Amino acid sequence: MIEFILPLFGRFHPILVHLPIGILAFGIILVFLSEKGTSKHLDSIRLAFLLGGIFAVISSISGFLQYQYEGFTWETVQFHFFFGWATAIASFWLFYEVNKANSNPKNLKLKAAGLFGLMLFTGHLGGNITHGEEYLIEVLPPEMQSLIGYEIEPEKGLVLPEQGWEELAYYDEVVQPILNQNCKSCHNPKNLKGELDLTSFDKMLEGGEDGSILTAGNAKESALYSRLVLPKEDEDHMPPEEKRQPEKEAIELIRAWIDLGATKSAKLGESNIDTETLEPFFHRVEKPFYPELAVDPATEESLSNLKAEGFFAEKVSETSNWLMISCVNFQSFSDQDWSKLGAVKNQIAYLDMTGTQVTDAILDSLNTLPNLTVLKLNQTGISGDNLQVLNENKNLKHLYLNETKVDLSSIQALKEHPLLEKVFAFDTPLAEKEVSEKFKFILETGNYQLPALPTDTIVY
Amino acid sequence: MKQVEKLINELTQQKLERQTRRHFLMDCVSKMGGLALAPLMFGCDTGSSSKASSGLNLSQRDLNPLAPLPPPFTGKAKSIIYLHMAGAPSQLELFDFKPELAKYHNQPCPESLLEGRKFAFIRGVPNLLGPQAKFEQHGESGAWVSDFLPHFSKVVDEVAFLKAVHTDQFNHGPAQLFMQTGSPRLGRPSLGSWVTYGLGTENQNLPGFVVLTSGGKTPDAGKSVWGSGFLPSVYQGVQCRSKGDPVLYLQDPDGMSRDMKKNLISAINTVNKSEFDQYGDPEILARINQYEMAYRMQIEVPEVMNINDEPKYIHDLYGTKPGSESFANNCLLARKLVEKGVRFVQLYDWGWDTHGTDHDGSIDMGLRNKCREIDRPMSALLLDLKQRGLLEDTLVVWGGEFGRTPMQENREGKTQSFLGRDHHGDAFTMWMAGGGIKKGASYGLTDDFGFSGIGEQVSVHDIHATILHLMGFDHEQFTYEFQGRPFRLTDVEGELIRKILA
Repeated sequence: MIEFILPLFGRFHPILVHLPIGILAFGIILVFLSEKGTSKHLDSIRLAFLLGGIFAVISSISGFLQYQYEGFTWETVQFHFFFGWATAIASFWLFYEVNKANSNPKNLKLKAAGLFGLMLFTGHLGGNITHGEEYLIEVLPPEMQSLIGYEIEPEKGLVLPEQGWEELAYYDEVVQPILNQNCKSCHNPKNLKGELDLTSFDKMLEGGEDGSILTAGNAKESALYSRLVLPKEDEDHMPPEEKRQPEKEAIELIRAWIDLGATKSAKLGESNIDTETLEPFFHRVEKPFYPELAVDPATEESLSNLKAEGFFAEKVSETSNWLMISCVNFQSFSDQDWSKLGAVKNQIAYLDMTGTQVTDAILDSLNTLPNLTVLKLNQTGISGDNLQVLNENKNLKHLYLNETKVDLSSIQALKEHPLLEKVFAFDTPLAEKEVSEKFKFILETGNYQLPALPTDTIVY
Repeated sequence: MKQVEKLINELTQQKLERQTRRHFLMDCVSKMGGLALAPLMFGCDTGSSSKASSGLNLSQRDLNPLAPLPPPFTGKAKSIIYLHMAGAPSQLELFDFKPELAKYHNQPCPESLLEGRKFAFIRGVPNLLGPQAKFEQHGESGAWVSDFLPHFSKVVDEVAFLKAVHTDQFNHGPAQLFMQTGSPRLGRPSLGSWVTYGLGTENQNLPGFVVLTSGGKTPDAGKSVWGSGFLPSVYQGVQCRSKGDPVLYLQDPDGMSRDMKKNLISAINTVNKSEFDQYGDPEILARINQYEMAYRMQIEVPEVMNINDEPKYIHDLYGTKPGSESFANNCLLARKLVEKGVRFVQLYDWGWDTHGTDHDGSIDMGLRNKCREIDRPMSALLLDLKQRGLLEDTLVVWGGEFGRTPMQENREGKTQSFLGRDHHGDAFTMWMAGGGIKKGASYGLTDDFGFSGIGEQVSVHDIHATILHLMGFDHEQFTYEFQGRPFRLTDVEGELIRKILA
């Protein structure tokens, strides 16, 4: 009969703590209101520190009971515990100091301020336990968060291999990563919302405050699944409405695992899951189009200089340092203007010189661009005689030579190029004849026609 | 310059005259109050122009709203050509082959398809209408294309079909708005506006978002389908005409020489510059930039919009006839525009609303005529983009605003004298080609009558999400603050159609 009293008392800790906080704060305020050398407020201050100390002790005891009966680890509460007792002791000491003096004792303000700091810090530690350590930081704007050195490290999502996924351990390699990404932040040993720990198979089997969350072979009867598929507005929906929601495919994977028997030994291939459901999680090692090595970003100054000269100059994406340069608004660009590009030589990955005044001589400059990947020389005076120098642009993938004077022999000079994928030579002397020679790269010469059909002219 | 000084003096004089003692006091009162309230209520700031209002670091964007920006991710496509067949073409006569439907031709439609349904014009129990075209598989991909599109069947290996697109709108206006702006109601920015807002444009002498129309009429939803909604109006589509002046009011009036125009603009800009020095409002700089851009456009727009100088074999390929307004001419113009660095080219072709109420609106005759008008040009566009290497980073999208019913329309419960189909949004076909699209793919399954999707269905939001992805955006991150909340093109929906990505 009596055993419920202690855990109940423990659960009153979050309310009880406010008593010493309020009473001590009142006492501290009185200390700061009283004048030096007088005995004004002295009785009230004495009483405040005595009562504050008593309630601090009661709070500390209730806190210790809460730790004993609820799912907290010693690591989480230890500092809160120590500082709680320190607050109680400090209150009694201040009471003793005030009690023995007839007027305001020396340095009382300083000591009271110290007690205030101690109390504040204890309270903060307690808040961290209840609400999580990110509680206050979470609501700050991101810039401020990084200013105080706090970076949110998102849990990595589920990643599956496209080949051999059937052999994956269903729980360890599929279900647990999904739980880690979507549930762990509130259901872990330190933060046991609903007394549920979802960080391991065994802990999950133990269930939460409403008992087991798994009914093997029946997902609809398992809270682990059924609460995921409740309408978002429903109070019982998990994860809470404002939190990140798992993909519908992830929920489907959890359903299939429970229906399969919710065992630790099951393999992913044993379920009726198809590749369609797994599609979003396949890790595609997509080879990036632009070179993979890192370069320093072009300086803001050099970029604005280029823009002022009339170039289109922009990074290929916000996070990339590769530059895309186009002369679409700088059609008078000629060989002499080359030096204007000097400052960003290493960053240029895409260069469009279509319609400019450049001649064959430009190629000797172009081959100094180590990372050039796309080069467009359409509608220029390029003859193709010295095209072989482009072999030095080891990263070149797409070469555009439409409407120039290039012929087959100039293209042949590039046949040993290691990376070249596509060469466009539409409307050139080369395109006039059928090219029978096969290259490692695709040579596009165009000249497509759509033959006239009788139906072209029949009006119904 | 003396004249300019005179102008500035005049302006200052006028301002001073307007400043009476009463005005001064009123200004003091109202502005002090405003100052106090501004930080409390975030002023009139919509949240999106915080950079601009700081007044200190004016970005390139503040001075020129069309200045290019890098996409958040490396996109597969740089430009888009969107071919919208206004009125909604029949998927059952073009791409969605339904031999079962032919067997039930002229039989009453099963009740199960009609239960709880509303159609735009069909009343009671209509008869089923079998496919009116002959279908064959084409290319290495084996895509089904009807004999209504003989040229297009040669290029099917370049495109990816979406055969079970669905929309929840069955009237032209709202459905077109939905397809182009992501919402069936007015007020949202169009796809082209979002893209030009996000990326700016490469060629600073041309508009970033160009609209070309053919078929005699503009879309039912009006100009809102290329409107900028709540985005700054500079991002709306610029309608260019293929006949006469391409852009209205761009050319100088009679008697105004280009030199004179230049002097005029530089005088206006000097005045504006002094205004800026006084008030520091970036809108003034944007305006200066707009004047200069309009001046530059005067040369480049007529040049790029002129198809007369294209060689004969290109005209033969597209079937273009210079001087007329046609879908063919618009296709050729679209290629020229993306070649010159225009971000988004939107084509509308009107006349696809084949209800069977008259000859032009009949499935077996009128639709065939419309198909003939687009078959060669759109096939030519794909081939021409391909041979120039432009298909590498240009995305081509084709589609209507919805599809059509497998049933013969029976407007007002009467039998019609022409074959026709009613509006239907459950399942219809669209296709995409070019930058980042998997060649020869087909995604989406429909039932035996082509009435509903039975697998791999995609929504309009999914298509938008995919298009934005190809341009280098995450559709969930690409937002604009308006009326206190961030808006997305895809609202709260949209999933990538991964199966058609290369």
